[in-house]
Amino acid sequence: MFDDRSPIYRQIADRIKADVLSGALKADEQVMSTNQYASYFRINPATAAKAFQQLVDEQVLYKKRGIGMFVSARARDMLRAQGRENFFGEVVDPMVAEALAIGIPLADVIRRIEQHENNGGV
Amino acid sequence: MRVDVQGLTVRYGDVTAINDMSFSLSGNKIYGLLGRNGSGKTSLMSALAGYRRPSGSVQLDGLPVFENAAAMRQVCLVRHTADAADKSDKVAYVLDHGAAWRDTWDNDYALKLADLFKIGLKTKAGELSLGQRSALGVVIGLASRSPLTMLDESHLGMDTPTRYAFYDALLHDFMEHPRTIVISTHLIEELSSLLEEVLIIDDGRLVLQEEADVLRSRGTEVTGNASDVDEFTAGLTVLGEKSLGRTKAAMVYGALEDEQLVRARQLGLELGPIALQDLFVHLTEPVGGKR
Amino acid sequence: MKIFRHLNASLLIFCAMVAAGAFVFVLVVTFAVSAFRGIEISGWNVVTSQIARWFLFWMGIYVIHNMLPIAVAHGRTRREFLAGASAFTVVLALLMAVLGWLGFAAEGGIYSLMDWNADEHGSPVAYFLMFLVWCTTGMFCAAAFDRFGAGGIFSVPIGVVLVAVTTVDIPGSGNLPFIPNLPVLLGAGWHAVSVAAFLVALACTWAIARDMPVRLRTT
Repeated sequence: MFDDRSPIYRQIADRIKADVLSGALKADEQVMSTNQYASYFRINPATAAKAFQQLVDEQVLYKKRGIGMFVSARARDMLRAQGRENFFGEVVDPMVAEALAIGIPLADVIRRIEQHENNGGV
Repeated sequence: MRVDVQGLTVRYGDVTAINDMSFSLSGNKIYGLLGRNGSGKTSLMSALAGYRRPSGSVQLDGLPVFENAAAMRQVCLVRHTADAADKSDKVAYVLDHGAAWRDTWDNDYALKLADLFKIGLKTKAGELSLGQRSALGVVIGLASRSPLTMLDESHLGMDTPTRYAFYDALLHDFMEHPRTIVISTHLIEELSSLLEEVLIIDDGRLVLQEEADVLRSRGTEVTGNASDVDEFTAGLTVLGEKSLGRTKAAMVYGALEDEQLVRARQLGLELGPIALQDLFVHLTEPVGGKR
Repeated sequence: MKIFRHLNASLLIFCAMVAAGAFVFVLVVTFAVSAFRGIEISGWNVVTSQIARWFLFWMGIYVIHNMLPIAVAHGRTRREFLAGASAFTVVLALLMAVLGWLGFAAEGGIYSLMDWNADEHGSPVAYFLMFLVWCTTGMFCAAAFDRFGAGGIFSVPIGVVLVAVTTVDIPGSGNLPFIPNLPVLLGAGWHAVSVAAFLVALACTWAIARDMPVRLRTT
């Protein structure tokens, strides 16, 4: 479930973002309430509320007073844009470092990527 | 329920169990009181519950608790020895006391919980297994619906499914009836996700009081070349270190600044999080210390 | 009031049942004895003057040693509990004195039917006061031992004096040493001494129990 090594509210927020990115949570879809979330994952409701508040602040979710929290219409696009921004720093650079560390020439890596592209991006 | 403790000291003869402790709980949260065996958890809670006359002050919502009817009404402490359950009494009779003496007692809920934990109402309290006796304590604590409810080592002897049933019941009832709940334990890993705030005590003193999630972000494990680690950790609060060959890992407590993160990258140091449980172990006295 | 009511509700019926059981038991024993020899003493008086006071003493211990910590654990102050318990001892002693008196009446009927002889017994008031003082003395000793551990031993000589004064008016309960004339001199005024003993026992209980910590029970 959640590990004890980093703030749980951040783990919850990341999980919901991942669900939005993957499409498991769609635009204007209602997310679980704080209490439902707390009982389901056996976490403190204040922690769940903090995660939801962060997502509201980041405009991933929006509140309907008295009803609950919903995924905002542009959440997915926004998260995708953020993901693109971080992609090279968080995914490509470490991959390059790893390739160099185990002695794979970058040219080989590029060739592999080109193969993917020629196969239609698979 | 707000709790204010000021200069609290508890002594048993020559032994000082709580040494000049001060803190406040703002209330309506689930607090974890963490400490090693003999660190003073039970003594502290006993003073909070008016079980003994405090030296120093203990106030609940601004009222001194000891022998104060208005404040005492609001408190329930269940210690692991189950003070409210006489060994020779049947469980049903034990629950009767609560129903008779507590204004806030919910007897239907008590019976429901007893059923959940499979405690026979006709069984004598002294004939219950340790786990069931702990569960009976949980029943008394939760059914009291007290604005300040304290559970001391309530998981003792419970098997894993029972402990999870306990956590679920606790969480559910807390959400239905928000109140101040203090749970003491040294089994942190299982319980920590339920806690909003954590108090760590050691040797009768308060080591720290912090939001659980903040605490989780406070510890960093720095791993790398021994001399680089030493350079990096100079001036930081180092809770513990271990070395393997030329590699060294140091546990650092406290948030790291951006420039420190940059420096760590320059030195090729690996930074990782520390589990709450490990933080606790290192914040309290190390084994083989003066204890 | 809640404490007083709950003590009454949970303990009075139990005590009455013990008394009834004791009465039946004594009757059976008396009939058994009558097979071998003539009956010359009241069996019920042995119970009321000797055994019952120890039962009341034990009840006093039970109330402080067992019930007080439970009351505190359920959010009641010691003061509230002691107020309820003090009133309860009066009701309990009254109940037991009435039951004792009913016992004597019933026993008297049976004895005259069987043509047995009973020795004399004390007045209901004397029994009431004896029960009252024994019960509160039990509370006092329990409070002393619970609060001071082995140091509570000091309560024993005080307790002995307190309970001894109540036995004067009750035949078959033992005589007071040293001051045999004084009670005779005082006559019914001796009851006032018993009341004083009750008040002293109660005051000592309050003084000790007001600050008493709730200790961990060893399991």
